[in-house]
Amino acid sequence: MRTQMRTINILLLLLFLSSQTVNSWKREEFRNCNQATFCKRARSRKPGECSLIAHDVGISDGELTAKLLPKDIPDQSHEEDQEPHQIKPLILTLSVYQDGILRLKIDEDPSLDPPKKRFEVPDVIIPEFDAKKLWLQRVSTEIIDGDVGSSSIIYLSDGYEAVVRHDPFEVYVREKGRNVRVVSLNSHSLFDFEQLRTKKEGEDWEERFKSNTDTRPYGPQSISFDVSFYDADFVSGIPEHATSLALKPTRGPGVEESEPYRLFNLDVFEYLHESPFGLYGSIPFMIAHGKSGKSSGFFWLNAAEMQIDVLGSGWDAESGISLPSSQNRIDTLWMSEAGIVDTFFFVGSGPKDVVKQYTVVTGRPSMPQLFSTAYHQCRWNYRDEEDVEHVDSKFDEHDIPYDVLWLDIEHTDGKRYFTWDKVLFPHPDEMQRKLAAKGRHMVAIVDPHIKRDESFPLHKEATQKGYYVKDASGKDFDGWCWPGSSSYLDMLSPEIRSWWGDKFSYENYVGSTPSLYIWNDMNEPSVFNGPEITMPRDALHNGAVEHRELHNAYGYYFHMATADGLLKREDGMDRPFVLSRAFFAGSQRYGAVWTGDNTADWDHLRVSVPMVLTLGLTGISFAGADVGGFFGNPEPELLVRWYQLGAYYPFFRAHAHQDTKRREPWLFGERNTELIREAVHVRYILLPYFYTLFREANTTGAPVARPLWMEFPSDEATFSIDEAFMVGSSLLVQGVFTERAKHASVYLPGKESWYDMKTGTAYKGGKVYKLELSEESVPAFQKAGTIIPRKDRFRRSSTQMVHDPYTLVIALNSSLAAEGELYVDDGKSFEYEKGGYIHRRFVFSNGKLTSLNLASVSSRKSKFSSECIVERIILLGYTSGPKNALVEPSNQKVEIELGPLWPQGGRGAAVMTIRKPGVRISDDWTIKIL
Amino acid sequence: MSTFGVRIVKIFVVKTEIPTSIDRSPASLPKDPYPYIGIRPEDEKYYKAADTIKCKDGSNNFSKFQLNDDFCDCADGTDEPGTSACPGGKFYCRNAGHVPVLLFSSRVNDGICDCCDGSDEYDGKVKCSNTCWEAGKVARGKLKKKISTHLEGVALWKQEVEQAKVAIAKDEAELSKLKNEEKILKGLVQQLKERKEQIEKAEERERLQKEKEDKKKQEAEESVNQEKSVVEEAKQEAGDTEEKADSEGKAMENTLHDEIGVVEDSPVDQENDVTENTKGLSREELGRLVASRWTGGDTEKQNGKIDGGKDNDHEDHDETSKDADDEEEDGYASETDEDTGKYDDSSVEDEIDEAYEDEYHDDSSSSSYKPVSDDESDFSDTTTPSGPSWLEKIQQTVRNILQAVNLFQPPLDKSDADRVRKEYDLSSTKLSKLQSRISSLTQKLKHDFGPEEEFYSFYDRCFEIKQNKYVYKVCPFKEASQVEGHSTTRLGRWDKFEDSYQVMVFSDGDRCWNGPDRSLKVRLRCGLKNEIMDVDERSRCEYSVLMSTPALCLEEKLKGDGR
Repeated sequence: MRTQMRTINILLLLLFLSSQTVNSWKREEFRNCNQATFCKRARSRKPGECSLIAHDVGISDGELTAKLLPKDIPDQSHEEDQEPHQIKPLILTLSVYQDGILRLKIDEDPSLDPPKKRFEVPDVIIPEFDAKKLWLQRVSTEIIDGDVGSSSIIYLSDGYEAVVRHDPFEVYVREKGRNVRVVSLNSHSLFDFEQLRTKKEGEDWEERFKSNTDTRPYGPQSISFDVSFYDADFVSGIPEHATSLALKPTRGPGVEESEPYRLFNLDVFEYLHESPFGLYGSIPFMIAHGKSGKSSGFFWLNAAEMQIDVLGSGWDAESGISLPSSQNRIDTLWMSEAGIVDTFFFVGSGPKDVVKQYTVVTGRPSMPQLFSTAYHQCRWNYRDEEDVEHVDSKFDEHDIPYDVLWLDIEHTDGKRYFTWDKVLFPHPDEMQRKLAAKGRHMVAIVDPHIKRDESFPLHKEATQKGYYVKDASGKDFDGWCWPGSSSYLDMLSPEIRSWWGDKFSYENYVGSTPSLYIWNDMNEPSVFNGPEITMPRDALHNGAVEHRELHNAYGYYFHMATADGLLKREDGMDRPFVLSRAFFAGSQRYGAVWTGDNTADWDHLRVSVPMVLTLGLTGISFAGADVGGFFGNPEPELLVRWYQLGAYYPFFRAHAHQDTKRREPWLFGERNTELIREAVHVRYILLPYFYTLFREANTTGAPVARPLWMEFPSDEATFSIDEAFMVGSSLLVQGVFTERAKHASVYLPGKESWYDMKTGTAYKGGKVYKLELSEESVPAFQKAGTIIPRKDRFRRSSTQMVHDPYTLVIALNSSLAAEGELYVDDGKSFEYEKGGYIHRRFVFSNGKLTSLNLASVSSRKSKFSSECIVERIILLGYTSGPKNALVEPSNQKVEIELGPLWPQGGRGAAVMTIRKPGVRISDDWTIKIL
Repeated sequence: MSTFGVRIVKIFVVKTEIPTSIDRSPASLPKDPYPYIGIRPEDEKYYKAADTIKCKDGSNNFSKFQLNDDFCDCADGTDEPGTSACPGGKFYCRNAGHVPVLLFSSRVNDGICDCCDGSDEYDGKVKCSNTCWEAGKVARGKLKKKISTHLEGVALWKQEVEQAKVAIAKDEAELSKLKNEEKILKGLVQQLKERKEQIEKAEERERLQKEKEDKKKQEAEESVNQEKSVVEEAKQEAGDTEEKADSEGKAMENTLHDEIGVVEDSPVDQENDVTENTKGLSREELGRLVASRWTGGDTEKQNGKIDGGKDNDHEDHDETSKDADDEEEDGYASETDEDTGKYDDSSVEDEIDEAYEDEYHDDSSSSSYKPVSDDESDFSDTTTPSGPSWLEKIQQTVRNILQAVNLFQPPLDKSDADRVRKEYDLSSTKLSKLQSRISSLTQKLKHDFGPEEEFYSFYDRCFEIKQNKYVYKVCPFKEASQVEGHSTTRLGRWDKFEDSYQVMVFSDGDRCWNGPDRSLKVRLRCGLKNEIMDVDERSRCEYSVLMSTPALCLEEKLKGDGR
């Protein structure tokens, strides 16, 4: 009896000990590389194993084509005991596009009747890209030093050419006429392409993980290859991982056993802040950068599970393969479970050029509505209409601006999206109208899982039309999510997407009004009872496409369908706003993305910066992390620091789990309320600057939040920095990531000085400063030589700021000059595409500020006008004390006096201020200091 | 901000300016606004005194031309009361016909009509009509009603205080009376006890005596052989009992085995490997299990349960029962209830295992509040009007008994002995009831019932409100709970008054998954009835109740700002 009791006690003790970890991320729940045959196979291959040779290299239809065949074709007559091996060549196509983009495709030969057409991801490359194709006329052949065979060379762009080495097969980009490489593929002969074949007798293709079995009806079909970046000191990109901006090696000397960076969209409960495991979204685009100041990029358009190794230098020491050693190089190994090789090489040469080239392929970020660039207030959940009204009125009571109030899943009638809980939200339209009367907007959640409820018309219709993803047996896939038993719409199909989009019309979405926008969550897709909390890989989509082939793009198509729905709702007159958790290459065209369910701790605050920066580098400029941290209760200090940093995220939203304590800004005592109000005001003051940057992203792809090295590409000291970042090219922000921090180390790069944004204190560039921290803000500096447009009046929301006057802050450089831009449009429609906008360049030099028009005057079908004036011009770094300035062409004298740099006094000395110049931002004018 | 020392004015100000003539036309829209717009009447002097005006915070000076010139010269907004130029500014609307209001100057010309006289929107972008008279009328009506309510409430409050005084006096009187009675009764019980023991001793003596006599008789009558067989029979009987005990022990072991099985099967697996253990689960169960990570459903609670179960720490172990409650709430009760049942059984059977024992205790303690009231009602029969005589009756009876029963004259009168025993049982039961009543009264009187004891009547009352599927029950000085069907979740135990008796705090309620202990605050406000007006769970597991009560209708309030 005694021993019995003891056994029980021990068992209970064990339970207690292990339950400590119950709530955190469960590593073993997710497949690692060794548990996936394709990854294990690819990772165990040795350099030089690929024996493919390029045959029949030639030009056809303006592209270079070749056939890839193994070097030693086995003599079939000697292998009687083995099944005859049909040798099928792979087809290689190389095409060239404007702006320095090389596209390499490798696929099976469709004329040889493969068992199935391999999946190519549709609707990611924008239609305009095709028009950028250059029609190749000729290919030249040369024998490159040290090679046995010959290589084919084609023109890529001014200064660059693409090379196909025949034996062993290799593709690379080099500087014209020089053996200086940029990016190469298969330089280590790791290329591997498992062609589809018929199943041999007794062969088991099934793959088991935990309690799930993947039937793998088409068998192995993986692809892997090595990619090398030259003159590179580090690589970055391939989100989404909660890890550093510069990706650490995952293999090689000195690297402990590590997983590759995984790209597989997953709903990960309480993710860790330092991990190569895959999160909610995937973008197989990598950017490499080096101290030469040059960058290059590589993008693989493939939506199957991908694993990417960053190989530490010396990893190939024993391979015997020697690549040009004069160039610093980073090697990477790319592995995918299915699909084809459809890859893009970007030559740069600067970091912004690479992002620009990448967004030529996948599209520029869409132009957001002005309101969506302001502050968003979210919580799971604002309970009912009364709660909404209460929160809304509290913001006004505390004079804290906000633009959008969000409703999470509980607002629906039993998690049936497009419906409202009749008890909690009996008057949704009235509620939205009340907010709209204050210029505020609302966002409601719409997830992709549809409740399997016969009385739910959406489900009924989707079932009847056969619009759901099917399981391996062909029945509607039935998974578990918030509503319980659910099915998932097949968003791969344009027809289904269009049908979905119609559901957002005001007639269909009862209770929606024009001020309601949408939030797409759980679109990885999250399936609570699926393998790895997602959809089984053998689930079937439209056209017999297996889920494994498009998994990473499922959320992207859903995001696309929703954004298109909002577009249709207003006949294409209103810019959609849709926030999505899952993403893929191209998601930047459809809206904002956030970093998912983070945690209220300092580490998650820290990792939010590299995560947001990485998204920006890979096209998704409009990104942010949940301010405050989704899980857990932040200490007031953490919350305040998060607001102070979050105010600089391109997407600025506070959010919290339903089990956390309420954390609206006024709930932590008067001082903290004041600090949060100030943090939010920073964002509102800088809205004109942010909006201008969003337009820059929209036209060039350059992200709003940028790594320091994007602005200072040759400064090696910036390469490892991911706790500070640039907002545009004028502002540097340093986060504070520790409790009760008294000091922060800040590196201010470049030769020019930096001005503390709040105090105006000047710091010389190119140095590390140990700065005393204030509780009132995180350090932020304006770069000398820049002009930042602000709006200094505090309003309830951005809507009321439309007519407010501007402040221009001119930070003079050593030659007393500065430049900046201002972009303004109506903030909501597409008129800007027809020229309906104001775009000014402000140039200060020789004691004179000039406002120049940047908008193209010609092809303007639409015009946007604004009565807004400049009420104040602040000059930082101007030493003499002039008293007046002359405004031209009005020939008016205005006063110069000393004033505060920051509204409400600020902490620094008074600065030179031109008082009420009264010039309109839409006009040409000059202001001369007298 | 601080120099103005004025916050946004609350709606109710008793003195209201009522104009003689009312401007019902839309607010006029001066292109060049009146230079003193937005200034409080009492401040106009300050602005008109000189051509150079000081910022109130002393930070700067400005000329009268810079007053309301739409450019901020004072960090504190002194120079721009009538425009939005200064972030810290305050705009005064006169609101003739209603109550004057101070706005954040960020509301000036923002396209939204904030002042009922429309004076905050003068740039011509919107037209605000003057609604002050109507608004004022409504407000005055409300205020009147509020005042009359309050007046009536004050009367009720006075009654309440009077009644409280009476009730306290009554309770205190009862307490002291009970204490007296307790003393007497204790004495009686003691006497009875002694007498009972004497009787028992006497009985024992008599019994032994009898046995002895019987034995002698037997010895005389029976042979040795017969004796032998009797001994053997006795042995046989002893053996039987042993065997029985043995098999019972085995049965118990079996149950334990089963339980180990239960414990092993679900939660252990779950810790180590969720998906592994999901093998046994249906697809739906798996879905629920994973969903519960975000929402705190079934499974996490089971973990919590096990945690609590093996831990002797009382707090942890409280969680356990709370979690069980949650389950009921979520409608997944059946499974876990079964588990709990098993644990309970074993704890009853086997007191060695502390974990199980705790579980058992917990269940009983969760309803600890109830027995007290049972006790009271039980006791009520003894305190009914006929009561005063009950003690005398007992005293009389005891006297009679003690006199009647003569111990020193064997043989004992059987009925006499029984009478003593019965009377002892009766009066010791009475005594314990009396004592528990004393302790509950003492407990009650220890509480803080407010400055005038106006909350005294709350002690024995509970207030309820039904909202959607829940009934919220607030029992001041005791506890607050949320009832759904048969399941009850404790939202908090009585903690204290807060905010000068305007708020009742219940804390330390059942634990929320991944969240805080539940807690509830009752905001009290003056009303004619004791009644819960509203309940809200703004923050997860933090409940807020609005309750009206005359106990808050204080006379001073009427004289004050009328809040």
